[in-house]
Amino acid sequence: MSNVNCQISIMISKKEVEKLAFLGRVELTDEELENVPEELEAILKYVQKLSEVDTEKTEPFFHFSETSNVFREDLSRKENNGMKEEVKKTKEHKNNYLKVKSIWG
Amino acid sequence: MGITIKETQKRLRNKETTPEEVVSDFLSLIKDKNKEMNVFLDVFQDTVQEMKEKDPDLPLYGAVFGIKDNILIKGKRCTAGSKILENYNASFDATVIEKIKEKGGVFIGKTNMDEFAMGSSTENSGFGPTRNPYDLERVPGGSSGGSAVAVSAGMCNTALGSDTGGSVRQPAAFCGVVGFKPTYGAISRSGVISMASSFDQVGVFANTVEDTKLVFDSIRGKDERDSVTVDFNGGLAETKKKDKIVVGVPKEYFVEGISSQVKESIEEALSKIKGKEIELVDISLPHTEYALPVYEIIMASEVSSNLARYDGVRYGREDTESAMKSIEELYMKNRGKGLGTEAKRRVVLGTYTLSSGYYDAYYIKAQKVRALIIDDFKKAFQEVDAIITPTTPTLPFKIGEKIEDPLTMHLSDIFTVTASISGLPAISIPCAKKNGLPVGVQLIGDRFKEELLFNIAEKFEKIWQI
Repeated sequence: MSNVNCQISIMISKKEVEKLAFLGRVELTDEELENVPEELEAILKYVQKLSEVDTEKTEPFFHFSETSNVFREDLSRKENNGMKEEVKKTKEHKNNYLKVKSIWG
Repeated sequence: MGITIKETQKRLRNKETTPEEVVSDFLSLIKDKNKEMNVFLDVFQDTVQEMKEKDPDLPLYGAVFGIKDNILIKGKRCTAGSKILENYNASFDATVIEKIKEKGGVFIGKTNMDEFAMGSSTENSGFGPTRNPYDLERVPGGSSGGSAVAVSAGMCNTALGSDTGGSVRQPAAFCGVVGFKPTYGAISRSGVISMASSFDQVGVFANTVEDTKLVFDSIRGKDERDSVTVDFNGGLAETKKKDKIVVGVPKEYFVEGISSQVKESIEEALSKIKGKEIELVDISLPHTEYALPVYEIIMASEVSSNLARYDGVRYGREDTESAMKSIEELYMKNRGKGLGTEAKRRVVLGTYTLSSGYYDAYYIKAQKVRALIIDDFKKAFQEVDAIITPTTPTLPFKIGEKIEDPLTMHLSDIFTVTASISGLPAISIPCAKKNGLPVGVQLIGDRFKEELLFNIAEKFEKIWQI
């Protein structure tokens, strides 16, 4: 694993950032699009340091051992005000529905 | 230094003051200073009324809280420092808020923060930077900068923050107050806006360790609404050796990256504790240098997932003018406008580290090294009762000094991320002043040994008394 890491390219193009921004659903400004590739490269280069560590025999961490699944009845709870109240908090709504801009595909 | 909870409670009990006076003193200070320091995003007008309705026998009676603006108070605005939630009003109380209300505490306002708790300076807030009360040209640290300043400048008795990689401890050190992050799972996060869920914890700012403990004891414990919480009675206080406390000094924290000013201050502070029933021993935490890269990867991955809910439809603003060609375009425009640069940068990075081609190389690799860091601490705690380190590598820096370079900014968390990665309780307490600026020391305890950690911190607090 550690050997593989060393070979990973850390050149990030503007086009790649555009793709990532699309996948993450964030539109970047022109200025951000100019700076983010370089900033990302710097961070990715920095984290390459992890390839020095031999983790051949190490299991990845996923959760602290005290925790386990918690189940409960699927019931509305006292702190819930109901859907009507929540819908009212949105910017646009009508007849207890969210209203969004029309989308033409 | 502001007024402690204990002091306010004593004065209320002895009828030396009234709820009206307690609250109006804080409010007038906020009125005087908030404009230049930008500490509170919202200040409440119903605090006196709330206090008058509380039973004076309750443990938090009289305590006035500032609350970081990523913790929900029913009926109050909650922005998380982000424009995307500028008009969001909370529909329920966070569990910690519920508990404070039950125990007699009241709230005076919501404090400024880096957007979605991402930052180390409170410069990334959508509502302008907060300033350090010791020097208005300097940052208060972050992301809970508003809460740190609120306590430091005496605008409330105590404040809640959230700590993901150091966001309570680091600003506490920069502002000369006590800042505490509990063991992962000790305090419920229900109603706290998520940043990186495997690190996020609610933390406490206070003037003293005693106040910190009082607040912690009032808000900790199992909550079925946060599945990582555990039944927790406050922790164990036994020390390893009968007649003294053993404190480990990890050599890795006194080498790279630490400024000479902080190093000198800490060494001087440590020299004062020798021979006071405290034994300092040299220890090694060999994987320390990998902590920040591990944090960087896992944090960004979790952020990119947690921030997906802010689509500008269910939450947040919907800013678009015309009809959209696709639902993706709608989301991208809403999020593009509503989120700040640092938040967007982390969404992009997290999307990269979680993408199928890179998942093993980045995310899984980081989780493996995380296991090794946790193991370092496990081994160390077989020998010691607590570990002592500087809280921050530098003194509070100037506003604007690091904002252009994200990586340098992230280095501010270098001494605090290890306890976050390992789910350990840690507390920053003031130990000295250098050039008129506060320096903090961090004490890290073993998991769920809060009681012992507070005992040790109180001893140090007494020795350093600043």
